[in-house]
Amino acid sequence: MFAISGELPFGTLAAPGAGMMPKLAAALMMLFAAALIVAPSAVRAVGLDWKDRNHAALVVVITALAVASYRPLGFLLAMSLLVFALLVIVERRNVLVAAAYSVALTVFAYWLFGKALKSPLERGVLWF
Amino acid sequence: MLWYAFVGCLVGTLVGMLPGIGPLAGISILLPLTYGLDATKAIVMLAGIYYGSQYGGSTTSILLRIPGEAASVMTCIDGNAMAKKGRAGAALCIAAVGSFVAGTLGVLLLTVVAPPLAQFALGFGPPEYTALLVLGLIFLAYMSTSSLVRTLLMAAFGLLLGTIGIDVMSGHFRYSFNIAELGDGIGIVPVAVGLFGLGEILSTPSLQVTSEVTRPKLRELWPNRTEWRESGWPIARGSLLGFVIGIIPGSAHIISSFMSYALEKKVSRHPEQFGKGAVAGVAGPESANNAASTGAFVPMLALGIPTGPVTAVLMAALLIHGVPPGPTLVNDHPEVFWGFVASMYVGNLMLLALNLPLVGVFVNLLRIPYAYLYPMIIMFCVIGVYEVNNSIVDVWIMLIMGIVGYGLKKLSFDPAPLVLGLVIAPLLEMSLRQSLIMSDGAWLIFLQRPVALVLILVSLVLLALSAVGYFARRKGWRARLVEVDGET
Repeated sequence: MFAISGELPFGTLAAPGAGMMPKLAAALMMLFAAALIVAPSAVRAVGLDWKDRNHAALVVVITALAVASYRPLGFLLAMSLLVFALLVIVERRNVLVAAAYSVALTVFAYWLFGKALKSPLERGVLWF
Repeated sequence: MLWYAFVGCLVGTLVGMLPGIGPLAGISILLPLTYGLDATKAIVMLAGIYYGSQYGGSTTSILLRIPGEAASVMTCIDGNAMAKKGRAGAALCIAAVGSFVAGTLGVLLLTVVAPPLAQFALGFGPPEYTALLVLGLIFLAYMSTSSLVRTLLMAAFGLLLGTIGIDVMSGHFRYSFNIAELGDGIGIVPVAVGLFGLGEILSTPSLQVTSEVTRPKLRELWPNRTEWRESGWPIARGSLLGFVIGIIPGSAHIISSFMSYALEKKVSRHPEQFGKGAVAGVAGPESANNAASTGAFVPMLALGIPTGPVTAVLMAALLIHGVPPGPTLVNDHPEVFWGFVASMYVGNLMLLALNLPLVGVFVNLLRIPYAYLYPMIIMFCVIGVYEVNNSIVDVWIMLIMGIVGYGLKKLSFDPAPLVLGLVIAPLLEMSLRQSLIMSDGAWLIFLQRPVALVLILVSLVLLALSAVGYFARRKGWRARLVEVDGET
């Protein structure tokens, strides 16, 4: 943060600039991080459990792809594919059941948000 | 008005029951839908979600041993133990009645305390606001179950994130990386939904969620005389404790439930029963978290200070509708303030009526396997976050913060201070810079104003108490290590 804050004026105490608060916050972060490194920690002693990292990684990748395709494909297609992919790839559910559930859920959400609550939803490649 | 209170209470109860999505995500998702409403109706509905979620969280905690939201964690312990002994209905009833009593008491206190507090706060200037916000952060760190340094680190991170965007005083673009949407800064909704909603889902594979639904019989719904007697004083203590803690900035409703459980165990004649179905272990924490939810509105309405991420989003809702919360709210927009207070009286009755008869319906909703539930939650998160500004950048921020939230959970960092830091960053920066401009750069201004001086002294006392506690624990740890070395 300090490196990319170069152009922001720190100002003076009498006239604080745009760079003062970010640099103060960054300095505090470094101070507290140093204190954590120096002080003994119960978490370090116990050890960390990363057994769910594969699940997390898959969910993140699938969600990222859905977000990237949200505008090009539209709400109905992107969200259907999101739910379907999570059920089939992450949860290893039956393909037909997953397809039916994802379509039904997305249609329900489309009705609830798009029609009942009049929220604007991305059309994408579809005409509705 | 009553209709919007009912919708808010119903949605809040459902949101509170769903693991992985809490009141913050529920309010955040529904916030854009209130744009067409006037300020009073919008805040009534959103507040209904907030305190409704406190009710809903207890249902899954008791029946499934899954905390519907963070403040219901303590209810899991003895509530589910009561359910396994065949007293699920009694546990649900006590939780509902305790929440009703606590919520009503909280509203009465809110009615009495908020207007005079608002008058007092009119005398606040930039130095007082700076000192108050700093005290809020330090008090949150002091009360947090996580270590002081970890909490302050998260708060500093939140302050840093809050500086992204256009500086309102100078017009400089800060850390926007040529992304136009970042000129407005990072929104609270994407960060909160990502950290609390998505982060929780990432760290909860469906195989870990093993839930057995306990279906209460009708005759078991009501507590017996002994259970009513055992719940009376815990409800009273939890209500008062929760309201007082709720006024203080921080995760008050979560902290209050933990503190109430500890208090009840301390004063109980049979502390060995805690963890095995003690009525007080349900009544106290449930009352405390509901009262804290009400108490949290006092600084929000009277001072314009958010006490946590949920009240911060509620404040954002008021600002969106052109109603600035703070000392002038009671005088300038009395219809908003008193309409809100009146809806809370009615809302508490609605919640009691909803929770008791609809337990059977709610339990059926929870029979949806978690593997099918969390994709639905992710979809609703994407919809809700996108709706805020019709910006896909917000959704990306949500996803990034979800990954951050996952990492924070693994490393035992509490994400709540990060959100609090993000919320108060603009307020803190503005008041700090105004204070320095007023004093021509002299830091002594914070010591020369009596209220600011008192607030800073309280902050230093809390820091000193934390340091004393830390060194005392280290001394105990080393003594135990010496004993073990001696034995070996």
